[in-house]
Amino acid sequence: MTALLDVKGLTKRFGGLVAVKDIGFKIEAGEILGLIGPNGSGKSTVMKCIMGIEKPNAGSVKLDGIDVAGWPTHRIARAGVGIVFQHARPLQRQTILEHIKLALLPDNLLMLATDHGVTRRAEEIAARVGLSQVMHRLPRTLPFADLRRLELAKAIARNPKVVLVDEPFAGLTSGEVADFSALIGSFRAEGHAVLLVDHNVKSVAALVDRVLAMYLGEYVAEGSAEEVMRNETVRRVYLGGKIETAARPEREGKDRTPLLDVRGLGVLYGKATALDDVSIHVGEGEFVSVVGLNGAGKTTLFNAISALVPYSGTINWRGETLAGRTPGSIARGGIVQCPESRELFGDMSVRENLDLGGQHFPVAEAAKQLDWLFGLFPILKARQGQAARTLSGGEQQMLAIARALMMRPKLLILDEPTLGLAPVILEQLSKALEVLRQTTDITVLLGEQNVTFALPHADRVYVIEHSRIIWEGDPARFAEEAGAGYL
Amino acid sequence: MLRSRTFQVVVPALLVLILLPLGVNGYILGLLTLAYYYAVFAMSWDLLFGFAGEVNFGPSFLIGIGAYTAALLNHYWSWPIPPCLVAGAFAAVVAGAVLAIPALRLTGPYFGLITLVAVLLLQNVLVLFAGITGGEIGLDLPDVLSIDASTNYYYALAFMTVSGAILYGLAQSPVGLILQASGQDAIEAAALGFNVAKHKLAAFCMSAFFSGLAGAMLIFYLGTASVGTVVDIGVGVNVIIAAVLGGRRTILGAAVGSIFLIGAGEILRPLGQLSTFVVSAIALVVILFFPGGFMGRLLQSGGRE
Amino acid sequence: MLALQILIDGFAISSLYALGAIGFTLIFGVSGVLNLSHGAIMVVAAVIAWWVSGTYGVSPYLGALAGLAASLACSFFTYGVIVRPLQKSPSIPHEEKEIFVLTATLLWGIMLQEAVAYLFTNNPKTVRPLVEGVVRIMGVRTPWNEVLTAAVSLGAIALLYLLVNRTRTGKTLLAAAMNPRGLTLLGFELSSIYILVWAIYGLLAGGAGVLLGAFLGVSSDNAGTLTASAFAIVVLGGLGSVSGSLIAAYVVGYLETLTAYLVNPSIRTVPALLLLIIVVYVRPQGLLGRR
Repeated sequence: MTALLDVKGLTKRFGGLVAVKDIGFKIEAGEILGLIGPNGSGKSTVMKCIMGIEKPNAGSVKLDGIDVAGWPTHRIARAGVGIVFQHARPLQRQTILEHIKLALLPDNLLMLATDHGVTRRAEEIAARVGLSQVMHRLPRTLPFADLRRLELAKAIARNPKVVLVDEPFAGLTSGEVADFSALIGSFRAEGHAVLLVDHNVKSVAALVDRVLAMYLGEYVAEGSAEEVMRNETVRRVYLGGKIETAARPEREGKDRTPLLDVRGLGVLYGKATALDDVSIHVGEGEFVSVVGLNGAGKTTLFNAISALVPYSGTINWRGETLAGRTPGSIARGGIVQCPESRELFGDMSVRENLDLGGQHFPVAEAAKQLDWLFGLFPILKARQGQAARTLSGGEQQMLAIARALMMRPKLLILDEPTLGLAPVILEQLSKALEVLRQTTDITVLLGEQNVTFALPHADRVYVIEHSRIIWEGDPARFAEEAGAGYL
Repeated sequence: MLRSRTFQVVVPALLVLILLPLGVNGYILGLLTLAYYYAVFAMSWDLLFGFAGEVNFGPSFLIGIGAYTAALLNHYWSWPIPPCLVAGAFAAVVAGAVLAIPALRLTGPYFGLITLVAVLLLQNVLVLFAGITGGEIGLDLPDVLSIDASTNYYYALAFMTVSGAILYGLAQSPVGLILQASGQDAIEAAALGFNVAKHKLAAFCMSAFFSGLAGAMLIFYLGTASVGTVVDIGVGVNVIIAAVLGGRRTILGAAVGSIFLIGAGEILRPLGQLSTFVVSAIALVVILFFPGGFMGRLLQSGGRE
Repeated sequence: MLALQILIDGFAISSLYALGAIGFTLIFGVSGVLNLSHGAIMVVAAVIAWWVSGTYGVSPYLGALAGLAASLACSFFTYGVIVRPLQKSPSIPHEEKEIFVLTATLLWGIMLQEAVAYLFTNNPKTVRPLVEGVVRIMGVRTPWNEVLTAAVSLGAIALLYLLVNRTRTGKTLLAAAMNPRGLTLLGFELSSIYILVWAIYGLLAGGAGVLLGAFLGVSSDNAGTLTASAFAIVVLGGLGSVSGSLIAAYVVGYLETLTAYLVNPSIRTVPALLLLIIVVYVRPQGLLGRR
């Protein structure tokens, strides 16, 4: 029997970067495959290559025996591949029913009227995904989960042989997750081949028949959800290696007003909940790690602290609220974020990037700080004149951290510094962090997926899952209490 | 529901417009006649921008091609008016397709830029071959639609009504739905199996057809074809302002915006040169404070919560 | 002799074009705005300079200063009252911001143009030149004013270059163009950076307007053409690329001068437009633009 979807040797390069390298898998009719990997692992690129949104550089994508690799998207769609996007933008003036009808239309310029059959079919589909009550309403009046249902409804309407689903459960509550699991399960029951793309095994484990894990564009492991979760390489990718901890004794003044105090923080992205009632605090001189898988809400938390996203709840800095302050004034006030995306000035030299960080200080002070940083990251001194864009990933990360440190922060927020970096670089970064921790009185808030990286330096740990803080404690207890359920 | 609501507004409005020649003088009829042709320009533009999501900065390229094709045929070969109109409309479609097929591959401001440059080039070519085209002064036409103001008025009204009905119907049809989906998110539309380029090209040709036809009608009303009335950037600018003012993505709003624009220009005529200033200021205020335009407001309040 | 004449005239025109276009490209590069009131702002500067020095008989230098002040005011108004509110408006979807900014700045340009026409008529006006007399350059009689036009244009561009590449403040402008979010995280206020950019823009556009008024004369009717040529130069050079705009300004300036002298002055803009179409089709990112 030939598989419905058969991908072989798929490779995709963006300029010099190999985003996907020789990936292959098969999905039979009535089977669900989970494709997992952290941000930047290339899993979304695989999905886009199958759909024809990106053209693969090499490899084949066989749909029921026909190679569709390199076809335009609309032909691949007509050939029988459907996709459920994570972020869809519905039309503003069309009702839910009209959106479903759209998916039922043929690709024909002369379609000037639809027959009743189409309307009836659309109504049936609306009923199946649980939208019949709201099918005459406009999308902007509906909650987030219903908009996600609409995306599923469109995929059902297309009746594709192969369904690709991007992060099926992002932004949903646990009750809604159950509903969606049932709906996706029904695809399997009807003999479709389903590919679920997600950050981690855990969220899709209950639904998938098999899992394929990717990291840095390459194949890591394949098998049942349990097998993949037990796989050594997968554990190292997600958790790092063996967990070591080195919490320092509680620092003095623990009961004083904490430096940073976040209470009841909520953030919405459109209608999706990105953070729900999150409270954390960071004391002076403390090193606090927030660990959680990609998509759990770490970046949103940090962006709220830096006033980059609107939020509800309160954030106090040294006892005073940060509400109403601009991102710039918060950064000048001592909370400096080194973001996951690094946000370097690519066409400027390493030195110019660093100088911009030190620009708020007199030249002499900035020069002193620069000297100290060159001691901490000698490689940056050697690369001073080079454009930031041309640095390796690890060097860029060091530059991003160094640039943030040029601002002499009181609180340094580090968001996923290990993202997409090779193990040897992680070690260097880890050493630099330890030097920072031992030789300065800097306060650090670190967000990480990689627990092995996050724990050794931490004095205290928060675990964030599904937009909420679910655990808090010292790192020694993490391994016993939270570690097992983490992945 | 929405459609019947639109119907309830449009039919009485049309009745009023039909009865208008009984009550107003020829001068005002003349203005409205002009406004109706502009309405077709603006509705065609809205089909392309509001539905297909492509910004055409040079509507007067299509208008001008249609107008000058008809004018040249009438002036030099004495073709009667109807075949001139047909030829003008088809010339606009052909020229539009030649422009759009490569240009639709471009994204962002580049499509708009190409359309803008096309107008400038057409303008230069017309001036360069002034011996044939009449240049800045224009080309006199032996034939006109009619010399009677009411007859001209009814021609224009009928033309606007029919074009409006077709464009509006198209926008509301399944094809319009596909176009709107393509304009909003081309990748998603393609993933639903729609050939986005094909649909956008069709929309461009449709827009070109009505622009060219309206351009040709307009010059047979005016009795002369000149760069200032059918090709100039200013013509295109007015068309765009009318469509945005009336409410983008509504088709009918474009017609309302055109009538408003020409009506306001006339009411403000006592201000002399300042009238353009005031009209622009009003348009700017609408864009700043009511980005949905006139019809946008209307439809918004009609939407079901 | 003719060749030399073309060389000199083309150089002066091109330098002026470069000055006009560079402000346009700066605004686009740093804040992503294509300002279609550009030509009108240049006209305002020229006409105010003409009016002040002509009516009150004050020195042409004072007139030029008044012109600069006027364009500075227009520039701030464009940003503060039109561009910024539109960018912040929650009721305009993100993907339609561009067309709204374009339409609104276009309307604002028409308002400026009409206001000038109303107050000062649309007759062409020649600003009293800052210097009188002629000089012979290798036998070609050239007005001192033409030499000054080229010199001031290039001087202003050189100053801008030094500002952007050699000063701390200039570096933040460059950084804002590359990554505004990164700059925010380093404690800079984007709003003050944008105000600075629009100030520089006002001075550049005003300077170009005044020089143009003294060199060729300006009428309110020229506003659209001036915007179009700046737009064309900027696209030809690559949107947002300052050095690309410089090269493109000289390409367009010389192409126009050549056409005017050798073919026919009435079609001086045609070859540049054709070149623009070819470039946009073949290499939409422009001569020096990056994808």
